[in-house]
Amino acid sequence: MIAQFVLTAMLAGIVLYAWAQYRQSPIVGLLASGAALIGIYFVWIPSHASELAALAGIGRGADLVLYVWVVISLLVILNLHLKLTSQLELITVLARRVAIDQALAVDLPNNRARDGRSSDKSGRDIRRRV
Amino acid sequence: MPAYYARDTWVVIAAFNEAWAIGNVIGGLTSEGYRVIVVDDGSADDTAVVAADHGAIVIKHPFNLGQGAAMQTGLEAALLNGAEFIVTFDADGQHRASDVPQLVTALVKHRAHFALGSRFLDLPAVNLPPLRRVLLLLAAVFTRITSGLKVTDAHNGLRAMTRKGALCIRLRQNRMAHASEILNQIANCGLRYVEVPVTIEYNQYSMAKGQKSRDLLMILLDLFARRLHQ
Repeated sequence: MIAQFVLTAMLAGIVLYAWAQYRQSPIVGLLASGAALIGIYFVWIPSHASELAALAGIGRGADLVLYVWVVISLLVILNLHLKLTSQLELITVLARRVAIDQALAVDLPNNRARDGRSSDKSGRDIRRRV
Repeated sequence: MPAYYARDTWVVIAAFNEAWAIGNVIGGLTSEGYRVIVVDDGSADDTAVVAADHGAIVIKHPFNLGQGAAMQTGLEAALLNGAEFIVTFDADGQHRASDVPQLVTALVKHRAHFALGSRFLDLPAVNLPPLRRVLLLLAAVFTRITSGLKVTDAHNGLRAMTRKGALCIRLRQNRMAHASEILNQIANCGLRYVEVPVTIEYNQYSMAKGQKSRDLLMILLDLFARRLHQ
């Protein structure tokens, strides 16, 4: 009984986490929350887990719960990967801004405009200051 | 190509450790009257210095971000300069400056937003390894299925775009998958495109520097991960 409460609490935590992530990664959020809810169901009705496990050729119901947990873990890792990708995007935007601003600010002789055409469309001309 | 087009054509080159080759590449372009922007993507060698010495505008990323990120930086810089036509060009010398007029002329002639270079139309790809040919053809089929664009060469870095076309492009794929991302955005924005035969000349240097066959797997993974994420 204690194990059931502990597992339920952990799986409920996953459901909350998946719900919080839904906006950023809808597919991962749905899959993780679905897997966690299935896990909760099997924790409280292990006989169904055993029947399904036998049907799937896994063996014991406990093994099925374990596999569900592994799937959840992989989905959480995938979500972390996506979050890192998202952070990298922000860093890229920032680095790009820094690079272009430096090009605007630093006046290297080799990069000065060679043709003398001034910018009349955008109001900025980095050819003069790169 | 009329001088007017040359004056309004900006060539964007993303470069990473290309000090050996980039001087000749820039020289071939500036001699035709094009303005060249080199985005040095955190090179450890003298790429930025060589590029500046050969007359290019150099924008230097503080660290390596990837070819797609450098390409987007170059596009934004060209737009800031009021470019009417933007050409993307590889830094390793496998593209020919003589193909640029055909691309820009095709934009005007067909009133297209993008002129996409293809190595599989009329002109031959010089020294193209057979395995790479097969993978590139598979990539083109994949692009046809996913984007609906009827292209023959999905991963050709030589392409031209109008200002309007460039404004529609926002590359979020920092690495090699940006080529597929551009095609997807062309399709999503409903932009007009035309394919133009270009010559790609593979040499020992470009083969060592360019995409490897195994990069295809990373490209597919990057594209898949993007679909999972908002």
